[in-house]
Amino acid sequence: MKAEDLDRLQAEACDAVRAGATKDELRRIEREHLGKGGVVADILASIPSLEPAERRAVGQGANRLKQAILAAIEARENELDAEALAAERKAEGFDASLPPPALERGALHPVTRVTRELEDIFTSMGYRVLDGPEVELDYYNFEALNIPKDHPAREMYDTFWCGEGENLLLRTHTSPVQIRALQKLEPPFRAIVPGRCFRNETVDASHEHTFHQMEGLVVGEDITVGHLIGTMKTFLRELFQRDLEVRLRPGYFPFVEPGFELDARCPFCEQGCSVCKRTTWIELCPCGMVHPAVLRHGGVDPERYTGFAFGLGLSRLVMLRYRIDDIRQIMAGDVRFLEQFA
Amino acid sequence: MNISFRWLARHVDLDGLTPADVANDLTIHTAEVEGVEPFAPHLADVVVGHVVERERHPDADKLNLCRVDIGPAGSGELLQIVCGAPNVDRGQRVAVARIGTRLPGGIKLKKSKIRGVESQGMICSLRELELGDDHSGIWVLPDDVTLGVDVSTACGLDDHVIEIDNKSLTHRPDLWGHRGIAGEIAALRGRKLRPLDFGLPKTKGGDPYPVRIETEGCSRYIGLAIDGLKNGAAPAWMRHLLLAVGQRPIDLCVDLSNFVMLDLGQPNHLFDRRRLSPEGIVVRDAHEGETMATLDEVERRLGPEDMLITSGGEAVAIAGVMGGEASKVTADTTELLLEVASFHPTTVRRTSARIGLRTDASARFEKSLDPTLPAKAAAHLVNLLREIQPDVSFPRPPGDVGSWKDPACKVTLRPERVRAILGADIPDDDVATKLESLGFGVKRAKASWTVSVPSARATKDVGIEEDLIEEVGRLYGYGEIDERVLQADIVPPPRDDRRALVRTLQDRLSGAALYHEAMTHTFHSDELLAALKLADEPHLEVRNPVIEGYRSIRRSVLPSLVSLLAHNRRQRAEFRLYEIGKGYRPETANEAGEPREVHELALVHGRAADERKGTFPDGLFHHMQALVADLVACADRAMPAWERGGSDEAPSVFHPGKWIVAKGRDGEVLARVGELEPGLARDLGLEGELASEVALAEVSLDALLVAEAQPLVYRPIARFPAVKVDVAVAIAENVSAGDVAAAIEGAGKGLVDRLDLFDLYRGENLGAGRKSLAYHVSLQAADKTLGEKEIQKFLGRVERAFERLGGELRRDTAPPTG
Ligand SMILES: [Zn+2]
Repeated sequence: MKAEDLDRLQAEACDAVRAGATKDELRRIEREHLGKGGVVADILASIPSLEPAERRAVGQGANRLKQAILAAIEARENELDAEALAAERKAEGFDASLPPPALERGALHPVTRVTRELEDIFTSMGYRVLDGPEVELDYYNFEALNIPKDHPAREMYDTFWCGEGENLLLRTHTSPVQIRALQKLEPPFRAIVPGRCFRNETVDASHEHTFHQMEGLVVGEDITVGHLIGTMKTFLRELFQRDLEVRLRPGYFPFVEPGFELDARCPFCEQGCSVCKRTTWIELCPCGMVHPAVLRHGGVDPERYTGFAFGLGLSRLVMLRYRIDDIRQIMAGDVRFLEQFA
Repeated sequence: MNISFRWLARHVDLDGLTPADVANDLTIHTAEVEGVEPFAPHLADVVVGHVVERERHPDADKLNLCRVDIGPAGSGELLQIVCGAPNVDRGQRVAVARIGTRLPGGIKLKKSKIRGVESQGMICSLRELELGDDHSGIWVLPDDVTLGVDVSTACGLDDHVIEIDNKSLTHRPDLWGHRGIAGEIAALRGRKLRPLDFGLPKTKGGDPYPVRIETEGCSRYIGLAIDGLKNGAAPAWMRHLLLAVGQRPIDLCVDLSNFVMLDLGQPNHLFDRRRLSPEGIVVRDAHEGETMATLDEVERRLGPEDMLITSGGEAVAIAGVMGGEASKVTADTTELLLEVASFHPTTVRRTSARIGLRTDASARFEKSLDPTLPAKAAAHLVNLLREIQPDVSFPRPPGDVGSWKDPACKVTLRPERVRAILGADIPDDDVATKLESLGFGVKRAKASWTVSVPSARATKDVGIEEDLIEEVGRLYGYGEIDERVLQADIVPPPRDDRRALVRTLQDRLSGAALYHEAMTHTFHSDELLAALKLADEPHLEVRNPVIEGYRSIRRSVLPSLVSLLAHNRRQRAEFRLYEIGKGYRPETANEAGEPREVHELALVHGRAADERKGTFPDGLFHHMQALVADLVACADRAMPAWERGGSDEAPSVFHPGKWIVAKGRDGEVLARVGELEPGLARDLGLEGELASEVALAEVSLDALLVAEAQPLVYRPIARFPAVKVDVAVAIAENVSAGDVAAAIEGAGKGLVDRLDLFDLYRGENLGAGRKSLAYHVSLQAADKTLGEKEIQKFLGRVERAFERLGGELRRDTAPPTG
């Protein structure tokens, strides 16, 4: 074989490699030239039949041919890799505007979400979280809260009465836990009581017979109205993440004296809106200084200890937070409502 | 309660104050104001007109054609108005609604032709303006009212009404009249109440009017005879004030009685004395079944717990609630008996609640009225009447009987305590002046003062030191008190296992498990209980349900979620819901009578019957079982073994053949998992398009809290690779998968790291009554890589273990799937 034949073979093989469009094609070319029965193998096989003087040159030529083809294949492979990467980077056919699939998710109930938020705020201020029965004794719901039988204030609580006698009812507020807490805990203490309450009311978009409240109770030495105001302002600051002006005005609840209604500046407007009924104030919670008769019912000496209590409307806070316009949804168990709080 | 701004001005100088100022004062210092509304806005467009000409309508005898001058309110030309009223006449001042005016009821007056003649407005009657019942003719105004002015201004009807929430006055019987509210404004603004004459006029001599009290429910009764009355309309000023607060004027007697009640807060009654017995009045309890017709023309049936005013043996009024039809004042009444009394609040409240009749009078008596007030109210009424009709006379002294005592009392007040409770540095002098401005008497001593409480405040409201502190605080203004931060030692609140458990479960369920948390009503309807076959179980019931039939308080939470299945399935092909809540068991009440409370987690998972996915085992039952086990693990508790539930003890919502139960250490049920009872599924409507696969579970949080603890502990990651082997067994149907799994684990001698059932197969090649279970087994040794020899040894042990169960190891692993 002449040197020019080898050069021709090398040129042809390298041209084929450079034209190779896929790695598979390169493998084929490699096989045809360098594999068993391939071009290079044929040349090497022909060496024994050559003149001894030629053998060395042909052998070297075949090896050069092999190295040249391998180098060409490697170069072409690198090219193909680079092209492939470049093509992938072009991201042809990718449509970022396609809608992503809906994720399956679980959801906490909105009342749970807000309850947790409040629990976290108050426990960070040293409050413990208490619980009490929903089916309650008249004694805890009324009597011990300074609302004896035939007290006109009983009219304010549209009570569900249970069973036969006058003894059992569905609690109308979380306040009965005030007495249970006073009987159980040694002052000073701070506690909150989230839970469901019941009033016999006709149901419509803004009234439910079952709603959620959160009682607060702080008992200790030298607790004043000033502490109540300070506590509520701190709580509101945490809840709405800004300072909200509050005002106390007289409110009548037999288990506090003095008793207040606490209003906060509407967090949604400056000049009045539908949430605050154009008043710029939002009625937030009844509260007051624990009545000495209540402290005594709880076995606490009112001369030594004073305290304050408040009753936050949890359902109302939930509605404010998520702009829920129909209170009935809260207890309806409708998946179309619940899944929104994921 | 409605308070008229003009009415207040009769008692206190409101100069420089707007209705909004008064409302704000009351809001901040006294009671809850629900709103301030201008009175009679519907009259703003109705103007005073002068009838210049009246002639007969050319085509209708009964119609008049009037030309009316409305002065500056008009265009200068006279209005032509067709008017059907018989009393319209030339020279009258009348109320004219023009074209475009909106009348009460919302109708806008349009230009119209009446019998061919154009009418450019309407001359109004009192009824058309909602100012009274009179519709016999047009409203003729006084001659001196100014032409063209709106009638509310012209007639002194322009007013503002402040609406106060009655609930916020529950403890303040003294504020159930305008004078009481005026007293608050006077105290707040440092003004004086105008004096009122509370002296009774001279009466003729002789015996007092005969009154006898035979019941403890009446502590005072004043009966005063009045002669020479000419009943008719009350004076305009009185009618207008009554209109403003929403009371429709009737006649002089009714209006006067109402006026005094709304003025002083003391209910009273005027009888036609000719209808009473000369023997006078007896106040007594009703006899069982005694009846009388009240003023609203309803026959009322009464009993011994109700109190009556009687005369000559006949009931003439239900004490404190409403007068009787038979003795009511009529147009020709000339002789009256005025009743002003003190009735026992509870007696009045119970009667009014029992017969379902709440009146302005009963609402006031319920609040414990001042027993010194009747004499003042009687005098006030009589003095007003004499101003209106100077000729009335009083034939005998009033009867004033009863045993009552002035509630005025003395309360000790420590000014230091005022400052300590309010947290405000209010000087002694200020404490004293605030109290004095509200009518309290203050006798100052060093640290402990004596405060005299006036009768009107002493019936229920003010009796202890804290009550006085409230008076000082609200007058001082709570807004003046500086906020303070609570101080205490920094210690974390004690750990609450129950609350922590609830949070853990919620987080797992609403997180990884993709469940939605629901909250549902505590009540179960009769219908639901019947459908769920739970009606026979003992339920605590409310006596006064909101909706008839929604009376039972739930024993368990799960039925609440079951009741929501069909509704939610209509919305979604698949849904997962849970609720953590309470149930009540009345059959196990404690000594105080409280029913046992149970705290439960209920779960439902439903999906369309054709929604099964391809994986195995894919039944919702198995998902639910896995989920409950996961929740128990999440709570750091050991999962007790599941037991197959017996068909005869299945709770009625569970499929009797497809439910399992896990019990706690003391045998209490920790959890149940099952499919929905198929008959119930149909009853709930889960068929046809809504045909569904539904799995249910309930978990007792009470049992979970006391279950064996199994805190999470880290397992070291294996240092040698695991070997995977598939094992299948052909075995009798009645051998449980649990036994097969135990056999494999036993054969592994501690090497079985994971065991996953991946196939269940039944087929002819296995023979009847047999099934094939196939498992992926992962073998893992702590100290070496397992070789072929160990695997063959393991398979040998497995084969023998299966034989002991009556099964055979299938060598052809990767078995055919059904
Ligand atoms: Zn607003």
